[in-house]
Amino acid sequence: MSAIDVLKKRKIVIVALVAYVIVFFYDQSKFTIALGGFWMYLKEMIEILPAIFIITGLIDVWVSRDTILKFFGSGAGIKGKMVSVLVGSVSAGPIYAAFPITHSLLKKGASLSNVVVMLSAWAVIKIPMLIVESKFLGISFMGARYVLTLPGILLIGVITDRFVDRKEVLAIVEKKDSAIESKLLELLPGYNCGACGYKSCAGYAKMLATKDVKIDACKPGGDKLVNLIKEVRGK
Amino acid sequence: METSTLVLIVITIAALLMSFKKDKDKTILGLKLAKGRFFEMAGEIVGILALIGLFLAFVPPETIKDLLGGSNPLISTFNGAMIGTIAIIPAFVAFPLSASLVSMGANLMAVAAFIATLTMVGFITAPIEIEYFGKRFTFVRNVVSFLVAIAIAIGMGAIL
Repeated sequence: MSAIDVLKKRKIVIVALVAYVIVFFYDQSKFTIALGGFWMYLKEMIEILPAIFIITGLIDVWVSRDTILKFFGSGAGIKGKMVSVLVGSVSAGPIYAAFPITHSLLKKGASLSNVVVMLSAWAVIKIPMLIVESKFLGISFMGARYVLTLPGILLIGVITDRFVDRKEVLAIVEKKDSAIESKLLELLPGYNCGACGYKSCAGYAKMLATKDVKIDACKPGGDKLVNLIKEVRGK
Repeated sequence: METSTLVLIVITIAALLMSFKKDKDKTILGLKLAKGRFFEMAGEIVGILALIGLFLAFVPPETIKDLLGGSNPLISTFNGAMIGTIAIIPAFVAFPLSASLVSMGANLMAVAAFIATLTMVGFITAPIEIEYFGKRFTFVRNVVSFLVAIAIAIGMGAIL
């Protein structure tokens, strides 16, 4: 990793550090308050974060997105909606990591409403998050929010479906689709673990397709993946 | 340590042991993923927590109360939803921040709207979404999500 990459990656820490130094010279009492607040947050996070990351990792290896998608069928009706919610909620990574996967599902025939439901569930419904939320805001807050959010995301799916033409979106999808990139993305394990230095598998696939980057950066993929990548990029 | 934290840790250890018994290699892979993600995100999390500490030291509680806990809860809810729309912080950092906002006088509905739009509406990520799904899809999905987020918040106001 080059120095610029390190700077980019640690951008927020550097900004925070600079801000604290400035505040230290400008107003020491505010500095003490800020540091106290930061320390309180940090302590609470250190208590829960290892457990949260371990649970997320275990969900990744035990619950396969592909297996769930096998039950997707035509994706019509309540079953398709349930599968969409399930896939979204067991997947790790930020919402933009969901775009490539939902995009390829749309291409394979998924309905627009299912795609939207999956995107929303991906962003909102997370088992480890549920625990963090009830810790900080109380179990009744968390419970009420989830009870209302579930019908909420179904509604978002139905309404978006009504106002957007699926064919129109598909036309965009086809234009944007670069064959090599999507092939590479299908090869990558889809954990979005960041071990390769990119935030998501999609990010790594894009770099593999367009730039001359290391092809053995994916840790979960191993040697088997390196050979497959060689094959796809060779063509 | 609070009870909920203790329960979380006990559940995690139990799940880990069960996973180990069933498949050692899979469990090790899971732990490797957890480690990779943790180090990927650790810097970002620490940085954001530090900035939140700074932010709360400088923003007087009265401002929070005016913005998110005013006499008209609907306006507070709308403000919360707007902040969530433009903010880019990981969701699990948003929960302790929300707890602080509530203790500074923010309305629960406003906080619920903030969390809902933070997760569902992507203003900053819109360019990436447009790349994959087009302008119309992105616009409709985000606007509808914003409105539903406000509806969820109002519903929570009624329940809690």
